Amino acid sequence: MEHHGGKPNFNTNRRALVRAGIGVAGGLVLPGGFAARAFAADHPPIGTWPEGASGSSVFVSIAVPRTGVYAVQGEDELKGWQLAIEHINSGHELIRRISPKTRKGVLGKQLEAIVTDSGAKPNNAVQAHQRAITEKKAILLTGSTSSAVAVATNKFAQREKVLYLAGISGSNDTTGKDCVRYGFRQDFYGETAANAIGPVLVKVFGKNKKAAFMTPDYTYGHTTTKSVNDYLTAKGGWTTVTNQVSPLGALDFSSYLLNVANSGADVLVNVNWGRDAVLSIQQAQKFGILDKMKLVVPYQIPFLAPEVGGNLLAGVYAATDYWWTLEDKFPLAKMFNAEFVKKFGYHPEWGAENAYNSFAHWARMVEEAGSFYPPDVIKAYEKGQTIPSLVGDVRYRPEDHQCVRPVVIVRGKATKDMKNKEDYWEVIDVVPGAPLMQKPDAFGCNPGDYA
Amino acid sequence: MITWSNFVAQLFNGLALGALLALISSGLTIIYGSLGVLNLAHGAMFTLGGYAGLAAYQATGSFAVAVLAGAAALFGFGVALERLIIRHFYARPHEDQLLVTFGLAIVIVEVVRWAFSSESQSVAAPRLFSGITNMGFMLYPTYRLTVVVICAVALLALFLVLYKTRLGMIVRAGIEDATMVDSLGINVGRVFMVVFGVGAMAAGFAGIINAPIVSLTPDVGEAILVQAFVVVVIGGVGSFPGAVLGGLIAGEIISLTSMVNPAYAYIMLFAVMTLVLMMRPRGLLGVKGRD
Amino acid sequence: MIGRFRVEIVTAACLIAAPFVLPHLGLAPNTVNRILVLGLFGIGFDILFGYTGLLSFGQSALYGTGGFVAAYLLTRAGFAHVVSAIVLGTLVSAVVGYLVGLIALRRTGIYFAMITVAIAEVFFFVEFNPLSAWTGGENGLPGVPTPHFNLGFATLDFSSGWSMYPFLAFWYFVAIVLALRIVRSPVGIVLRAIRENPLRAAAAGHNIHGYKLTAFVTAAAYAGFAGGLLGTMQGFMPPEAFHFDTSGQIVILTAIGGRGTLFGPLVGAAVWLSLEDFLQATLKLGAAWKLVLGLVFVLLVCFLHQGIIGGVRDLYRLLLGRRMPAPAGAAAGASSAANAGTPVALHHVAADYAGPILQATGLTKHYGGVVANEAIEFTVRTGEMRGIIGPNGAGKSTFFKMLTCEVPPTAGRIVFEGRDITGMSVTDVCQFGLTKSYQVNQLFNHLTVRENLRVVVLAELRGKFRLDLFADPARIPGLVERVVHTAALVDLTGRLDTPVSELAYGEKRRLEVGLALASSPSLLLLDEPLAGMSPSERVETVRLLKSIGRGRTMIIIDHDMDSLFELVEHVTVLQEGRVLAEGTPKEIKGNAAVQEAYLGGMNGATHA
Repeated sequence: MEHHGGKPNFNTNRRALVRAGIGVAGGLVLPGGFAARAFAADHPPIGTWPEGASGSSVFVSIAVPRTGVYAVQGEDELKGWQLAIEHINSGHELIRRISPKTRKGVLGKQLEAIVTDSGAKPNNAVQAHQRAITEKKAILLTGSTSSAVAVATNKFAQREKVLYLAGISGSNDTTGKDCVRYGFRQDFYGETAANAIGPVLVKVFGKNKKAAFMTPDYTYGHTTTKSVNDYLTAKGGWTTVTNQVSPLGALDFSSYLLNVANSGADVLVNVNWGRDAVLSIQQAQKFGILDKMKLVVPYQIPFLAPEVGGNLLAGVYAATDYWWTLEDKFPLAKMFNAEFVKKFGYHPEWGAENAYNSFAHWARMVEEAGSFYPPDVIKAYEKGQTIPSLVGDVRYRPEDHQCVRPVVIVRGKATKDMKNKEDYWEVIDVVPGAPLMQKPDAFGCNPGDYA
Repeated sequence: MITWSNFVAQLFNGLALGALLALISSGLTIIYGSLGVLNLAHGAMFTLGGYAGLAAYQATGSFAVAVLAGAAALFGFGVALERLIIRHFYARPHEDQLLVTFGLAIVIVEVVRWAFSSESQSVAAPRLFSGITNMGFMLYPTYRLTVVVICAVALLALFLVLYKTRLGMIVRAGIEDATMVDSLGINVGRVFMVVFGVGAMAAGFAGIINAPIVSLTPDVGEAILVQAFVVVVIGGVGSFPGAVLGGLIAGEIISLTSMVNPAYAYIMLFAVMTLVLMMRPRGLLGVKGRD
Repeated sequence: MIGRFRVEIVTAACLIAAPFVLPHLGLAPNTVNRILVLGLFGIGFDILFGYTGLLSFGQSALYGTGGFVAAYLLTRAGFAHVVSAIVLGTLVSAVVGYLVGLIALRRTGIYFAMITVAIAEVFFFVEFNPLSAWTGGENGLPGVPTPHFNLGFATLDFSSGWSMYPFLAFWYFVAIVLALRIVRSPVGIVLRAIRENPLRAAAAGHNIHGYKLTAFVTAAAYAGFAGGLLGTMQGFMPPEAFHFDTSGQIVILTAIGGRGTLFGPLVGAAVWLSLEDFLQATLKLGAAWKLVLGLVFVLLVCFLHQGIIGGVRDLYRLLLGRRMPAPAGAAAGASSAANAGTPVALHHVAADYAGPILQATGLTKHYGGVVANEAIEFTVRTGEMRGIIGPNGAGKSTFFKMLTCEVPPTAGRIVFEGRDITGMSVTDVCQFGLTKSYQVNQLFNHLTVRENLRVVVLAELRGKFRLDLFADPARIPGLVERVVHTAALVDLTGRLDTPVSELAYGEKRRLEVGLALASSPSLLLLDEPLAGMSPSERVETVRLLKSIGRGRTMIIIDHDMDSLFELVEHVTVLQEGRVLAEGTPKEIKGNAAVQEAYLGGMNGATHA
């Protein structure tokens, strides 16, 4: 048996040949076991490494909802990834500000995306990633708008030993009890949103108020409602008079809204997301609820304002990951906005910003590690270094792989106050992330192994 | 949150939900009763009516035109479907009818998705009806009230056609015994065409008038289909009064259960349906002759 | 030997060849694995739908149950062995299927379908909400391990892609072999009879509810097993397994592939999934792929009556010409003359009962306000040939329906060979030895004459219900002989292997009588056996009935009094639900009241 340790191509082909031939014999050979002897490198193969990293391109599997309740948000965050890939491949200046070692591509290899429609269903996303891994040896997975997808992909990534960057994911569980060694999350989430917006609400509305919650029935909904409720009751003396839990994709919120209307609440905290948020807010207005109570959106939704329309969000407080008018404070944001507008014709929402950030960070970590070998990249993240992002300096916590980053508090503008077509929100505050987060083990995070 | 005012509010809202369901389900029940065809494309017709109305609305800006367009388009569509496809399935086993309507449902929804995209589209209610009505015990969207009235009128119209016209009598006779009607020399083929058209029209009409309430997406019809079948089964297959009664009951079940625990609302509907079937095998007002 | 297991051998060969052939067709290993799992899921569904005719939309509930039980055992309960967990999941699924079937099968047709829909929705809801602590709610159960076998001399590890294929292919093979055995067994024959004509199947002496429940539980077991395989294949048990869409999908796949073929779901899944991949990936259709797939599906349903497999089969027949009927028919013809006279033991409730074979007292039937039968007293001696006549609307058929217990009487008693059978079921009554030949043919229309008769004889030989799922009908003693014997009795020996659809009307009527005869009844009722026949056919039929009547008791309803009076010794006349007169044919002919009853409302003489 010849050893050609320094020539990945030969070994890949050989291994592929060997695999195809014996694949049918019942997998009697341990996966990769045969190859372990053939490939005299520093590490045994793991996941899709080194196969996936051996060509001139590396593949990224993106499973994003392009149909269904979160379709609009999915399309937006997809654009963020696409822009990031374009910039990384060409070695754009913006990327280099975040990942200084990047020249063209990642470690000289061009990024190619495999995009599938997950419809916000975990099963579809996992199957899509499975295909990408088996056929294209994808070395990176990303995509989610629903935390159910993020959690499922977390587990899948850990099993397959391929890195996963969560897309939009608001549930505490993603870097909480469902955290994994192979998963990373950049964006803000229920706990940080609650702790950022909580003080604002207590200050603006006062103490000992009554709150009604509307919650979508899945992990993101339940954990976010819990975090917000915990803060408001503990720190503001508020009481929750009702929590209306609706199924994801509900169309008619009348029953829930009637319960809310009769609850005697002062504030309506709407945790619903995507189209559910749009419909529930529009219908709430028609039931006279928005005249009786103040609306709060603790976890902002991209494009909520234009979709809801009719000035319904004027004066409404929300917590978000990013709003484009932050460009006045952050030069990288300004550059990002300019590039995004140039390519897509509108200002980016926070889904796109989250996507761009996470890819830029990953490119940096791979360059730092000097290889695509997953444990090395993971350890690069876990160094916890302070690194730049579109909203200032951030770092990743080694214990749960959650990015420590600021939460932006915004307030909706009345139509008459809008200075241009896209001026929906006014940035009230940019709250630093570290004090908002729970202790790393507070939510039961127990990441798995490196290999 | 069981307060008196909440109870009354939900009771009323249940009426609104029920009225719409009654309209949709009557279309389904007369199709099944007369033709013996389980129209699994009924939900898709609801969707299609909504979008046909949307197209008319975008072209003319008038809601009234949109409603008429939606109804007319679906009547024509139903007639065409019966002539071109459904007709050839009467002799085939029941399952084949189910399968072809199932397939048609997919095709219709996907055509709509292809033509209009998956994003939700809104249709604005006419200005006159778009405010909030203070009903004393609660504030209720004016448009939903309007829908209740519209549904009641539509159901009345359907009732008059079924019970006061010759065509209606033939349809009702055909529900009881199609062979007999045929042997009396009546052109059953034409009757079936009209029945399918009317049934589709009821669904399409409901689709467009419901659009301002929930906005339109290609998937609106999915949940409606299952609910309509539950209503038809509760009320009794082939029975128009059964569909109305069943619809109202279903609406009330959904909203009253929501008062206590919204998560259980739809399950309660299924539980009631199963209970009804166990006790009265033909539904509440089921007509003998169709199984 | 090889001929008998032709299907199994070809299947094994295809499964072994697949990983070498399929990649060249552009199929990814994960897709192939999914096809196998769906194909296995569908086998059970096809037994329920294709073979028994029960369209259930509730299979997702069992699929999910089996899958989640297995996944829970493997992830949260610390079970180590994958296959045992899946088997446990299957057992739970079968039990749940039994319970669900008890409720759902109490209704038929659309009502049955709707109850199955309700069940699917309820299970999904329960998975999502109340039981989410066990099921992971909307997240499902991640981290399901892949199978790992330590055989001592080697370890087998199945992970993903082609590596998992042998594991799944093995189980698919086992599943299909079992299913083939089941559908070829007597139970399978009865299931097909239920699909064709449940009324007749019950009247033939089969406990159709028991068989339906068997089919339902079988389908549940297959679904549960497939669910377990899904979890280990994906490493993740998704809540979508419980979704109503999954039920719908298996219906579509089975229809596309061909129902009643067992391989239909596999073919359907292969076509659907590979088209899905092809349309999305290769043609880059984006979201429009589903539209194309929907159109394909509609076209398939319109033009291929039994899916793709049916289409291929029809094409094959078209190209090769219709094959001649099997020689077995000819062999039987040779011996028919000899068999015709061989007596077969008849069924009795109490063979040595000395009294009248049938005694009905005060038999009454009211339908709402309509009186169909009123206080009928009716006694028949053993061995008698009795006729019943009466003008239209006299209640003759209703009377017969009460005698066979198809319809419960409003009042009165029926005693058969001293045994009170009032209120029993038509199945029990048939098993006791009382059968009826129907006025409107109740045949198993898509089967051959031989297969029709076989259904009835199976009930006679095996009783109401027997769970012989894996038995070989060829090994049942007396089955072939009795079928041939009955065919000879009704002069259909030369037509044994002809499908019912190709029989002439007269032959169909004879088969109808044959079905009633096949269970060797001691009392045979015939409801208008001569209806619709030409004069020469009538003569033939009368001769036939005479020969059948030897050693048996028969009661015959007919309007053709000339023919009837030739056959019977004693006649009862009914009018408006009551007994008008009784006597010998000669006495009845001369009875003024009878003439009045007939002529009073009609013009013309003896033919009513």
